[in-house]
Amino acid sequence: MSRGKKKFAIAIAVFVLASAYLAYSGARGSMAYYLTVGELLDRAPAITGSSVRLNGKVLPGVDWDQVSGRLAFTVTDGSRQIPVAYRGVVPDAFKPGAEVVVEGTYDGKTFTATRLFAKCPSKFEAKPGGV
Amino acid sequence: MSELGNLSIALAALVSAYGLVAALLGAGLRRADLQHSARNAVYAVFLLLSVASGILLYQALTRDFGNAYVASYSSRDLGFWYTVSVWWAGQAGSLLFWAWLLAGFGAVVVWRQAGYRELMPYIIATVMGVSVFFTLLLAVVSSPFARLAFAPPDGQGLNPLLQNPGMFFHPPTQYLGYVGFTIPFAFAIAAMATKRLDDEWIRATRRWTLASWFFLTLGVLFGMQWAYVELGWGGYWAWDPVENASLLPWLTGTAFLHSVMIQEKRDMLKVWNLVLIVLTFGLVIFGTFLTRSGVLSSVHSFALSSMGPLFFAFIAVILIVSFTLLALRLPWLKSAGDLDSLVSRESSFLFNNLILVGAAFSVFLGTIFPMISEAVRGVKISVGAPFFNQVNVPIGLALLLVMGLCPLLAWRKASLANLSRNFLFPGALGLLTAVGLIVAGLRQPVAVTAFALSAFVTATILLDFHRGAMVRRGHGEPYPLALGRLVLRNRRRYGGYVVHLGVILLFAGMAGSAFSSQQEAVLRPGQTVTINQYTLRYEGISQYPTQSAMVTAATLTVFNGREPIAVMNPQRNIHRGHEEQPMTEVAIRSTMMEDLYVILAGIGEDGTANFKVIVNPLMMWMWIGGVLMSLGTVVAFWPERREALRARARYLVGAEA
Repeated sequence: MSRGKKKFAIAIAVFVLASAYLAYSGARGSMAYYLTVGELLDRAPAITGSSVRLNGKVLPGVDWDQVSGRLAFTVTDGSRQIPVAYRGVVPDAFKPGAEVVVEGTYDGKTFTATRLFAKCPSKFEAKPGGV
Repeated sequence: MSELGNLSIALAALVSAYGLVAALLGAGLRRADLQHSARNAVYAVFLLLSVASGILLYQALTRDFGNAYVASYSSRDLGFWYTVSVWWAGQAGSLLFWAWLLAGFGAVVVWRQAGYRELMPYIIATVMGVSVFFTLLLAVVSSPFARLAFAPPDGQGLNPLLQNPGMFFHPPTQYLGYVGFTIPFAFAIAAMATKRLDDEWIRATRRWTLASWFFLTLGVLFGMQWAYVELGWGGYWAWDPVENASLLPWLTGTAFLHSVMIQEKRDMLKVWNLVLIVLTFGLVIFGTFLTRSGVLSSVHSFALSSMGPLFFAFIAVILIVSFTLLALRLPWLKSAGDLDSLVSRESSFLFNNLILVGAAFSVFLGTIFPMISEAVRGVKISVGAPFFNQVNVPIGLALLLVMGLCPLLAWRKASLANLSRNFLFPGALGLLTAVGLIVAGLRQPVAVTAFALSAFVTATILLDFHRGAMVRRGHGEPYPLALGRLVLRNRRRYGGYVVHLGVILLFAGMAGSAFSSQQEAVLRPGQTVTINQYTLRYEGISQYPTQSAMVTAATLTVFNGREPIAVMNPQRNIHRGHEEQPMTEVAIRSTMMEDLYVILAGIGEDGTANFKVIVNPLMMWMWIGGVLMSLGTVVAFWPERREALRARARYLVGAEA
């Protein structure tokens, strides 16, 4: 390998290592379990308190206090269910029957969500539901 | 009608398959008649898919709700233009849109670029091969002409989220960009198949690449704009898998756009360019799949989506065929030029490429992370926005730096004199900007770096404009005329610089997001909320019906200090037929400095309202940057006049000598 090529190899290696480090530390900081209702319930005691993205369908019977922004609902995977508590702006696509992803923690009884994404089943899925 | 639609699609699939075989046989056996027949097959597929599209539009416009697709995406009260948009509103329709665009582009190539006789059969084979996949999907898996047993009296209507002008900007531009990249890919395959591996295929597709990049850029930007005004969470990018899907081919496509210049100028990076266009096309198909299936945002695995395995098989075929061909051609792909110095124009292109591909790789990794972790550890783990930001913010800054360095570095090896001549003034300006911002009290290091780099790059670009114009002025042209002619006579170069200026504004706007602030408030009429220098007084709620919705609007008077400067009306609307899904319409007041963004998050029985107020600095810069990027691309795309071409040819010959 010529001297010129060696310099390039070093420069590229530095770049790749730096990116890999950034990716690694970024991943560590933002990793969350990505689970369905059933999977979360099965793993429940082990991952209590860790951050989780939970995916499920909203059941009818949504309790939404528009003034305080407090929202309580239940998500299901078809057979099992978990109650969710959330406070914040509710995305437009949120409604009973909608597919949602909530981010937060599960304490064994209620899933406390800090972020709520909703998507409309069988509709154009090109957009996220927002926070 | 639906039978005719199904027939057109089935025939299109058959003719595509025939075109693929005829083109390959025609090339292999050197049979002109077969090659000619393959060309006609492209026209025929375009005609057949036009008929199918026409039928779908006709059924949508005549409210034929016996068509399951029409019934799912439209309703009687849907206006004319939104009914037209049903074409790309759902899965089956948008696949038809994709296939139709592809056949249309293929027809344009066959018609306008017939001069590439040797390449043409393989170009046709590639386009028809892709067409076989999409028409088969339409015929077998996802038909836009499926009939319902009983036609319902009315359709389910178009989701109100999609009833926004964005529906005419974002999906069509995104698809034009996606599909457009098929053409450079097809030329690349043809170049490998025929061993015509000089820069012929690159020159032949320069404007296809540029146009596709233009539309993909617009698609991404329109998507951001749409998300910002419509989704009502105050941001424009959430690193959602579908957003990433639109960004991935843009990143590799941008890398491709730059690295082909090195092959044109220095006869280097031949293998790399082929790899890039193959990756870009693979990511286009991956992106189409993600957008259409939404598969990654659900925890369910690919296998549950009927199209998943098919798309994966198709991507595998693309990669295997392309890379096998590439491996077979490696002996013909020796670089003529060599990299001489770390500090040279070539190496800055190389780093630009590394950075863009690195960004693409990290975004790709983050997007499919849940699947990787499930395969490796048996549990799905996803990474969120912090991952993408942590990796891509430094990458973006590095890109900005290279963007400033690249155009002013000399080819082969930059001398110290070259460096100081070109970078002293811009470098000083960048440093001054940084110091000024820190003195002014800005403390976010990333944002300060971004602004300083923006100033640096802007200065290098403007300096280059200025120098060029001064040279022309030296020949007796007045300065403004010299500047204008400089751009017009070197459209590629200065168009590219205009794009770069746009990118700088875009980045500066993104850096501005670091200073956004927000405030939530529950207000009774007459109460106020204050954010930064703004005070917003909630005046009350009004309700009124429009043609398609019941509007509930809050009225807020905005004060800057004591002086009233605006009245804003964030709304929550109930669209007919979508009563369970109120639509939040945010109110935005934009100035060059910042956006005031008000969301009406909820209304109580007694008129108490829940607001979220956000101040987003420099948002306007992003959109202006987007406009500049588009304008610059148009300048670079615009055909040069004959005489200019001849002059350039003379110049190039002179330069080589």
